[in-house]
Formats: sequence, C-alpha cells, structure tokens
Amino acid sequence: MNRSKSRMTKDLTCENREKEDMIGVCETVFQVENLDAWFGEKHVLRKVYAEFQSCGITAIMGPSGCGKSTLLRSLNRLNDSVPTFRLQGKILYRDQEVYEISDLAAFRKRVTMVFQRPNPFPMSIFDNVAYGPRLQGVRGKTNLQAIVQQALEKAALWDEVKDELKKPAVRLSGGQQQRLCIARALAVDPDVILLDEPTAALDPIATTRIERLLEEISSEYTVLIVTHSMGQALRISDQVIFIYEGVVVESGDTNLVMENPQHELTKKFLTGRIG
Amino acid sequence: MVEAIIRNLFRFITYLIVAMVLFVLGYIVAPGFRYIFQQGFLTEFPRSGMTEGGIFPALVGSAFMVLLVFAISVPLAILASIFLSEYLKGRLSAIFQSICSTMTAIPSIVYGLFGLVFYCVQLGMGTSLLTASLSLSTMTIPFIVTSTTEFLKAVPVDIREAAMSLGASKFQVSIMVIRGAWKGMLTAVLLGMGKSFGETAPILITGTVFYATQLPRSIHDPVMALPTTIYAIVVNLGERSQWMAQGTASLMVIFVVIIYSAIQILRGVRKG
Repeated sequence: MNRSKSRMTKDLTCENREKEDMIGVCETVFQVENLDAWFGEKHVLRKVYAEFQSCGITAIMGPSGCGKSTLLRSLNRLNDSVPTFRLQGKILYRDQEVYEISDLAAFRKRVTMVFQRPNPFPMSIFDNVAYGPRLQGVRGKTNLQAIVQQALEKAALWDEVKDELKKPAVRLSGGQQQRLCIARALAVDPDVILLDEPTAALDPIATTRIERLLEEISSEYTVLIVTHSMGQALRISDQVIFIYEGVVVESGDTNLVMENPQHELTKKFLTGRIG
Repeated sequence: MVEAIIRNLFRFITYLIVAMVLFVLGYIVAPGFRYIFQQGFLTEFPRSGMTEGGIFPALVGSAFMVLLVFAISVPLAILASIFLSEYLKGRLSAIFQSICSTMTAIPSIVYGLFGLVFYCVQLGMGTSLLTASLSLSTMTIPFIVTSTTEFLKAVPVDIREAAMSLGASKFQVSIMVIRGAWKGMLTAVLLGMGKSFGETAPILITGTVFYATQLPRSIHDPVMALPTTIYAIVVNLGERSQWMAQGTASLMVIFVVIIYSAIQILRGVRKG
C-alpha cells in the first residue's frame, strides 16, 4: 500500500484545503457503510456511515458509552475476540472489505492501535519497540537499533530514554509509557494509527505532549482518535465525527462543526448539556 | 480507646499465630536436626531394622519421584492451562476449570486408591516408582492447571490487544501472555512440586516400600520415599528407630521451608 500522500488517486473530500496544501492530498482510507454492531443484545452502533481521510487527524467524539470505541475497534477488527460481538454492514479499507481479510496479522500491522491505558509489554523499553519489527522478521542488532531509535525519536521519547533502553518499560511514567506505546505502534511502519482515548489516563502536561506528538506524526500517518473531550477534538483534529447513542449525529470539518453545529444534539454536547 | 483495644487484640492474635507456627516448626525440626548431620545419615542405607545407618534410598527415591512428577505433570498442566485461558473461551473453559479446581479438593488418599486400581492393577504396571509418580501427577496436574490458568487470565486484556494490534498471531499473543505471567506460573509449579514432595497417601500404596537394600534399577522398581519412611517407622518400628523418623521429618520441613522461601522471593520480585 502506498503511504505517500503526493499521488492523488482517490476523490478529494477533505475540506481542510489549507492543511492539504501543507501535507499533500487526501485519500479515503476507511469507508464505513450502513454499519450496525451489537454486544449481545445491546445495539451499540446504528446505521453508521463514515469516511476517514488520510490527511490530518480525525476525531471520533461523543459521550461515554456512545459507541465511538466500538467503531474504532471495528476498523482493525479488534472486537473479533469478544464472543458476544456481532456486526452487520460494510467497512472498506482502501477499497478492501475489512471483514473479508484473511491475513489479519498483516492487516493489523497496517492499521495499528494505541489504547486508553498505557500498556507496555513486560519487557525492556528497547524490546517493547522492537516487538513489532521482530514479528515481521527484522533481525540483526543494527537494523533493530535503527528502527527503535527512529520510532522513539518520532514519539519524542528518545532523548529521555536513550541511556536506559534496557530498563523495564513499566518503570517509565504514565505519559512516557503512552509515548512508548505510540513509538511501538510507529515501529511497525503502519498506514493508520487508531488511538482509543490515549490521554484519558494522563495528566494535563502529558496530555499536551501527546497531542503535540499526534499533530507531528499526522503528516506521515493517518491518525484516527477517539475522545470524549471536545477540547481535545478542537485542539488537534481536522475532521470530527460526533456520535451519540450509536448514531452518527454530525461530521465534517472540526472548526465548522464546533462553531456552527447543525444538529441540536451536537449543540447540547458542545455546551456540556449532554456527555 | 475501643479502637486501641481492637488493634491490640488483632496484634495479639497475629503474633500468637506466628508464634504457634514457629513453635510447630521448631518442635519438628529441633529434635531431629542433629541427626541430619550425623555421619552417614544422608549417604547410607538403613541397617539393623532401621536402627542404624541413614535414609539415602528414601532421599534418592523422593528425588526421582519429584523429577518424574515434574516431567509428567508440568508440560501437560502448562499446555492445558494455556489452552484453557487463551484458546478455549466461554462456557466449556469454565466447566473444565471448575472440574480442575474440584479435583484439587479430593483427599489425597483417593488419588492413592485410584492409582492402585487404575495404574497398578488395571494397566498392570504393578507398584513402582512410575505408578507412584503417575498417581502423584494425577493429583498435581489439576492443582497446577488451576493456579496457572488464574495467573494467565490475570494478564490484562490490554497486553493481548496491544500484541494483536502490532500484527501478532494467536500463538505470538499467547507467548506474550506467558511472558506476563511467568513468575506466577513458576510459583504454581513450585507449589505443585512442594505438594507432591510431601504427599504420603498417594504413594503409600502405589509404589513405595518401607525398606530397601538397593536403589531402584529402573522406573518399574518400587522405591523408598521420605514421607512414607516416616510413616513406616512411626507405625511399625520400636523406640530405637524413632530418631530416624525425627531426622527425616526435620529434613523434610527444611526442604519445604526452602521451597516456600523461594516462592516468597519470587513473589517479592513480582511486586517490584
């Protein structure tokens, strides 16, 4: 899959023209059509239509329990391991039907994920970042070292940990652990990075660092983030999708939606009356 | 005031229990302790109706037995628990787990009877080191499976999902989960081995003898073992043999203390 955004092959739907000029052009990475999802009897997503572009950051926003995480986790099929999960509809990843992909491992290297709570593996900092490349068969210390350094640099963590790469990752602070998890995701050289409320467990300073980092990497990777904080969506996202009780209420350019919401529910959410 | 009384009451009870444990340990270890270092106690065969010599064959027998139980039960139990926690989801897994934990509550003499009837008689293997080890393993496997499965399931789902999201296969995810749980798994294995080292009932009737003049030549020979030696001396022999039972009991308690200390140290490492 071609990740460089210089070649435009797909239709241009990204509304943020300014950003486009800066980072190249937008391609549709994910297209969700008529998606319904259930956990057991609970109907968590209803008739969802959505499009995710490669340019900038797209935020999926909504109150707790609205189905935003379910939508995100459906994109890389992480819900598959939940026995009661059921899904109907269509998700296309670069024109490929996601729920028909047979080589899930290879697909998840392209569409990787960072979670709400920092979840470093019980191993050293180095081994955490090298885990993905090793799975892909990268061998040799120099090769791995180069990949690990690059990923940690991109995640703005290299300077803090370069002298203690052998230290257990769990000894890092929460914010550092989360940046390590981002570095770990970047090390597999993905196309898309899905983030499920990545700053929910962090303090404001660590949150700011992560947000800045996401803005930086968004020029190179497609970044989709789930957040229940409209402040965060406003600060970092270019596109926003607002979900309420499993239904997509409104979507579009973040500034437009925030400044001039079309739907009553969006207005209520933005003014803090729901959520 | 009331709080102070309650606090002191709890403190008193705790100290009392610790003192009781130390008393019991001391009461068992102290009388036999000096015999352990007596010339030939660990290296000689018993002589003159177990009034002289040492417990060398019982020591060797118990060591072989623990090794065999380890070789039989650990691979089976570990693989089963990985299957139960990682591959078999839902109801069936829960049923298997509850069967295993029920089996840990069965009295050990029942495992002895089972071993005698099934391994020794039904399968025609006779009483031997092998049948004793199989009987012990039958008891140890569910024990290790139960606790290992708990440790594996305690690994956060986040770790599994993170590995999956980086493109790990089911097998590779399981390896990561084992990495997260290995200290707990090692603890479970050590506990299981400690249990099988000390158990008397399952081996009493399936493969041990009270008195041996030579070491087993194969796993099909019966052996002496430490716990059954104590039992044999206390039940069958006179005053002049009792020192040997005391020495053996003392040695076993020391072994058990060493094993459990190792487990505690491991747990400490996990906290850090």
